[in-house]
Amino acid sequence: MNLLVNGESYELAVDAERTLLGVLRHELELTGTKYGCGEGTCGACTVLVDGNAIRSCNTPVAAAAGREVTTIEGLADGDTLHPVQDAFIEHTAFQCGFCTPGFIMSSAALLSRIPDPDDGQIRSALSAHICRCGVYGRILRAVKTAAERSGRAEGEQR
Amino acid sequence: MTVDNAHEDAALIVMGPPRWIEDPALRDTAGAEARLLSMDRQGRVTAFSGKVEYGQGIRSGFALAIADELDVPVASVRVVLGDTGMVPHDRGTTGSASTRTVGAQLRRAAATARRTLISLASERWAVDAERLTTGDSQVVDGEDPGRKISYSELLQGQALTVPIPEDAAIKTPEGFELMGRDAQSTDALSRVTGQAKYSRDFAVPGMLYGRVLYPPSHGASLRELDTARAKRVLGLVSLIQEDDFVGVIGEREDIVDYALDAIRARWDEVPDLPSDWDLPDFMKRSQGETVVLREEGSLAAGFNQAEHVLESTYVVPFVSTAPMEPGAAVASWDGDSLTVWCGDRSPFGVREGLALALGVSEEQVRVITTEVGGSFGTRNTPRLACDAARLSKAAGRPVRVASSRSEEFEQSTVRPAALIEIRSGVKADGTITAWEYMAYHAGGGAFRGQRGADTLYNTPNVRVAVAGTESPLNSGSYRSLGGAVNHFAREVHIDEIAATVGMDPVELRLANLSHPRLRHALAEAAKGFSWGSRGQGTSVGFGAAIGYDAGSYVAECVELAVEGPEVKVQRVVAAFDCGLVTDPDGARNQVEGSIMMGIGTALWEAVEFDGGRVLNATFSRYRVPRITDTPEIEVMLVGDPGTPSTGAGEPAIVPIAAAIDNAVYDATKTRIRELPIVPRLPQ
Repeated sequence: MNLLVNGESYELAVDAERTLLGVLRHELELTGTKYGCGEGTCGACTVLVDGNAIRSCNTPVAAAAGREVTTIEGLADGDTLHPVQDAFIEHTAFQCGFCTPGFIMSSAALLSRIPDPDDGQIRSALSAHICRCGVYGRILRAVKTAAERSGRAEGEQR
Repeated sequence: MTVDNAHEDAALIVMGPPRWIEDPALRDTAGAEARLLSMDRQGRVTAFSGKVEYGQGIRSGFALAIADELDVPVASVRVVLGDTGMVPHDRGTTGSASTRTVGAQLRRAAATARRTLISLASERWAVDAERLTTGDSQVVDGEDPGRKISYSELLQGQALTVPIPEDAAIKTPEGFELMGRDAQSTDALSRVTGQAKYSRDFAVPGMLYGRVLYPPSHGASLRELDTARAKRVLGLVSLIQEDDFVGVIGEREDIVDYALDAIRARWDEVPDLPSDWDLPDFMKRSQGETVVLREEGSLAAGFNQAEHVLESTYVVPFVSTAPMEPGAAVASWDGDSLTVWCGDRSPFGVREGLALALGVSEEQVRVITTEVGGSFGTRNTPRLACDAARLSKAAGRPVRVASSRSEEFEQSTVRPAALIEIRSGVKADGTITAWEYMAYHAGGGAFRGQRGADTLYNTPNVRVAVAGTESPLNSGSYRSLGGAVNHFAREVHIDEIAATVGMDPVELRLANLSHPRLRHALAEAAKGFSWGSRGQGTSVGFGAAIGYDAGSYVAECVELAVEGPEVKVQRVVAAFDCGLVTDPDGARNQVEGSIMMGIGTALWEAVEFDGGRVLNATFSRYRVPRITDTPEIEVMLVGDPGTPSTGAGEPAIVPIAAAIDNAVYDATKTRIRELPIVPRLPQ
């Protein structure tokens, strides 16, 4: 099957039922996407498929075939971090960092859908994620900062 | 394998015991003399510590402190943590002690390196060292500011080893350039780009994958086994059985998951273990040795002076640490030498456990700590490392064993459940005259329940005692251990006293409290929160609680709303005193995290179990705080910078459950003495 991940095309001979998470981590060695629960309740395995945030731990790899998959390793544009990544650094919106890639992917998907989300929309978009270190307040601030920055950058481009 | 070049290239090595112990009488507990810091001829600094980084920010905090003491950029400081082949023997990362013991000693090591560089320049220029100063990786002549020499140049051709002198002079807060300010974490980039490697991200060439069959309940032993189906799983390399140890090894993680699921086993489980519903009775029945922590005055006299006598029992369930990363370990043998990569907070403890379990010497074992995806008390047993090492030995190839989420819930230790009985006597003016405290904490003797059991309120007639009991689950460490549990009972009881005598809960606390730091924290929290501003909405509640832990003091005020059975924490103000703060944003981050974790234990978290079997070993059945539960949190750091640094990772969890419970009482006028809180509205 053909898998398009972070702009690279891979021809893989894998069972269709294997999870997207397992294939990303094992076959492509993209270990930034994490296993946290295996039942889609913690969000650590979140990746983008055609721009939508999905749980890769309970998604069969076949469901992603031929579609555009983005993982945390492919979110930055070369050396330029995504505004969400920058904002997570600025607000130290992490402690142990294990849940961080998942939160960042869902936040990026949110901002591409709603460039200027309110507090409730951010909470709702990230409600299926768990951060056991409890840095939620920082994540809220980081996503708001990223939204403001992206909004300004777009304004400048116009 | 990482090659340790730091030693060979070193131009300057600073030696000392790994910990700084202020009290000379206790100094022999500081650990054996070891290399703590080295500089190479490019002026780059490497520091070594047996502590590990699991989210508390010590790698970054150490780097910042060392850079400040040595006047070098943070980017030129590398901190090596938790690699038994490179770092000094340490006892593990526990008790919020890293900054106050190891951090302090690394600052002294950096100050020693700086002093050595100054004396090298003083010899070279034949001037008095007193007139020399440092800045930007250079020694500068204070009387001739044009004269400068870089650390790198000073270190050419040198191979010095210096001990930390007793009087090593570290900077005072006025001289800090990096410490005491908000700084970007040195780990930030790897965290946000997915480059940080946790134990289950770690792979070595030729590695296979393993899983181990664990008993379904604490103390169960294997009776019958059927492996026929498991052996037919495609890609399985081997199935190992040695007595009770059963493991599968395969080419991929999903293959060993299938194979493990295909094994059928019958177990002899410990009979008549209690379930969650009859645990309190079981605990009192199985009480072990009682340790009296304090007994002063006369309880009889104290109760005689009292206008009111209050007697209450508090019940706290087992709770799970549930770190986001389910544990994993990679083991690789080279002849009789073993290297293990894992995310444990006590790498030397793992090395000792491995040596013992595998019959090799500790010198043959190297444990390298990866990034650790959370601890909160767990990650302190060599179980996964031993499993990986046994399977690797059997396979003759490196093996990674990675836990499922359910295994993480079932095999990690849980915070001891507790039953706490308090009897107090109080005068009409709110003066406490008698305090009798008896706590039963499940498992592990009385030790786990002692932390935070004593009271800092003025209690002339007092008895504080703690007993361990038997435990149906494998109980162990947790953030603040029994501290948060003891504080829940005590701080709710204090609120009950306030309600009984009709006093404001903050006023009553201050009236019975002489401890200056606790008084200060409480006054600051109440002021920051606008404690007196409570409106008269029936479903809104204010609650306060105070606490001490790991040498620090904390007060928290909570505002919440009760809507049916739902409690919505809206605002938390914390005043936190951990003395001198070298990394304020890091400290605030820890306080915020402690509060979030404590909200979970107050409102939802409880391990459900039946006869030793955990019933809710998934995140869909074990409810933890989420972003939708997050209140506005304000953290005020109120410590005196002239007071030495104390712990920051744990203390803020100790008052929060009581503050929430007290606020629920304020909203509903119904007192709840059991966690998690299920509020009952007035009928």
